[in-house]
Amino acid sequence: MIKSGLVMVLVFLLIGLFSGPAQAAEAKYQRSIETFSVPDVVLVNQDGQKVHLKSLLESDRPVVVDFIYGTCTTICPVLSAGYVNLQKKLGPDNQKVHLVSITIDPENDTPAILKEYLTRYRAKPGWDFLTGSRRDIDRVMKSFDAYFRNKMDHKPLTFIRSPEDKHWVRLYGLLSSRDFMNECREVGI
Amino acid sequence: MSRKVNHIGQLVLRLGALCALLLLVGPGNTFAAEAKAQLSPQERLRLGERMYREGLLPSGEPMEAFVSGDVPVDGTAFTCVSCHLISGLGSIEGEVVTPPTNGRLLYQARDSYIKGSEFVPYISNYAKYLPVRPAYTDASLARLIQAGVDPTERSVLHVMPRYEVGDEDMVLLLEYLKALSAEHSPGVTPEEIKFATVIVEGTDPVKVESMLAPLQFSIDRKNSLAQASKRNDRVARMGYNMLGDLSMMSFSLQHWILKGPPETWRAQLDAYYRKQPVFALLGGISEGEWEPVHRFCEEMKLPNLFPVVDHPVLSDTDWYTQYFSRGIRQEGEAVARYLQGMSELFNGRDVVQVVRQSRKGDALASGFRQQWQVAGLPAAKEVVLAPGEALTPQRLEEIVAREKPAALIVWDDAGSLPALSALVGKDGAPGIVITSGTWLGEALWTLPEPLRANLYLTWPYRLPQEDRRYDFAVNRMLIGKKLADYDRVILRQSFIAQEMLGKALMDMRLEFYRDFLYDTLGMMGDMYLPLYERLSFGPGQRYASKGCFIVQLTKGENPTLERRSEWVGH
Repeated sequence: MIKSGLVMVLVFLLIGLFSGPAQAAEAKYQRSIETFSVPDVVLVNQDGQKVHLKSLLESDRPVVVDFIYGTCTTICPVLSAGYVNLQKKLGPDNQKVHLVSITIDPENDTPAILKEYLTRYRAKPGWDFLTGSRRDIDRVMKSFDAYFRNKMDHKPLTFIRSPEDKHWVRLYGLLSSRDFMNECREVGI
Repeated sequence: MSRKVNHIGQLVLRLGALCALLLLVGPGNTFAAEAKAQLSPQERLRLGERMYREGLLPSGEPMEAFVSGDVPVDGTAFTCVSCHLISGLGSIEGEVVTPPTNGRLLYQARDSYIKGSEFVPYISNYAKYLPVRPAYTDASLARLIQAGVDPTERSVLHVMPRYEVGDEDMVLLLEYLKALSAEHSPGVTPEEIKFATVIVEGTDPVKVESMLAPLQFSIDRKNSLAQASKRNDRVARMGYNMLGDLSMMSFSLQHWILKGPPETWRAQLDAYYRKQPVFALLGGISEGEWEPVHRFCEEMKLPNLFPVVDHPVLSDTDWYTQYFSRGIRQEGEAVARYLQGMSELFNGRDVVQVVRQSRKGDALASGFRQQWQVAGLPAAKEVVLAPGEALTPQRLEEIVAREKPAALIVWDDAGSLPALSALVGKDGAPGIVITSGTWLGEALWTLPEPLRANLYLTWPYRLPQEDRRYDFAVNRMLIGKKLADYDRVILRQSFIAQEMLGKALMDMRLEFYRDFLYDTLGMMGDMYLPLYERLSFGPGQRYASKGCFIVQLTKGENPTLERRSEWVGH
């Protein structure tokens, strides 16, 4: 009796010992399939180059989009960590997907700030960070139903586009690495 | 039997202790314990601060962590400071409320005012409710940082990284948290907050008065409320409803006058501060140098909200001075962004900057030059006008005939207008001519008619006709004095300073830490106040107005400015 109690205690202790962060990696996000009409605007990337957003996003390879900003404290670093982790996991295959971050603070986020941000996260090629005029950025946010009047009110949203069916998967919440990878695999990344 | 049970009990206890130890001792604990024991208290705090702010362990290695359950992150990109902020008093962003992490609040229980209620009104307006919890201990705080479990056994949000920090390093981090925002900043007593404003001697008295009037009005109004609240219970209740605990406090504003050359200012500032420390500097004014005041604030960790200066110190990392904008230089940057959008139409022809050699001219030309270079465009040609050298029509025509520019930028005062007028309609005149609208001063409104359609102007404010809606709010601060006796722009700037201070203090409630003042400003959304089209804030952002219009003056006797560009362009 006592021995079995001891075994139970040990089992619990060991569970306690090894139940690290992975234990909490349950699906805690909302997922929906959406159709968006990407506006035909010209934005600027981290290198100061003009980018036609519509042709950039509606390409024949999978695209992931999120809305972040350079001085964001809480949500954006988590979203960006997801991008970094995805690039790491894909390794040499990271060009299979185009990661796009679009600033929601275009007044402050100049190309130089975008570049510094990507460098801080050690982003590899295949992850672009875009800025533009306030009007164009607002149009883009609205087209993804992700418009926030105040940048401090923004929400953790990630959008994945499948080149096959041209639909967008809208993910609302902060995803674990496993969930994000699973979502990416769904569209063939 | 009982001895056997005791023995097993001891074994379980030992195993538990071993497990706890294993949990505490993580990788990266390479910084020798003996070495740490010999550190001075200051050095221990410095190492703790480095972990908190930079995510670096005392060994110099990054703190490793997991967010969102299983996403591995480098602690240098996921520092404590990024969410709990410099003051440690937490933040709110999106849907995520980050609670305070300073020792004073962590090591006391969070109880509800209403018995039985699970949630308590929180110290700050921005995060109204947080769950009750017992006081943290060193062990439970270490567990939170490492495993994300709080003393109620709740798993905290997975936005909070779970850090792999060993026990020796953890001791240093906890020491830092205990020292963080532990006592109110200087210049604050339970009854009063002291402020000062810095005035450089020799500044135009109208400008000085325009800077002071809104600040003093606001302080007098606040003090009247505090005084009345102490005398009358009904007023006290009303005041409390409006301003909370702040309603009973008084404010004071000292004038720190700086005399003589800038290199002597530091000693004067030190003397003023020694005599009477203040919580923050409000406003301030200089028609020339400001850097010594900026440096003083950095070194003393003393906030300075919205000084009225043409040449702010530009830095991506300095913390303690909040400026209205990047100053007149911002107009030069705006011209570069405006022209860069049409540069493909220049067909290889040059852009020429004619620059009056002066602080203003240099700032404008430098702003243009840098932004133009960032865009990867070939350097513009520059013609420098020596101080006192007239820009005659002949001189300008010669420059245009020689360089044949696609675009001509003239950074000079209203003395350049005859030359610019003479250029209108001339063969070979550039397609676009731009100058600084603010440097022209009042002459802007009387530009000769033919020039109006040909001259583009920088305008770093909201268009005057659209800004009139704020006249009532600003003018009532003058209490019967004549508006004409004041500088319109500075009056509005000072209105912004007192307005933003009020908003920040309301959000801070009674947590009077200088760093929290900036943390609070950084959490504010865009502001629509007089003068500027939009003011925006964000963590570490110190130049609130980031925009500038390119405009033209309309025809007629009562002309207005018309926009030719957006507020900000990239």
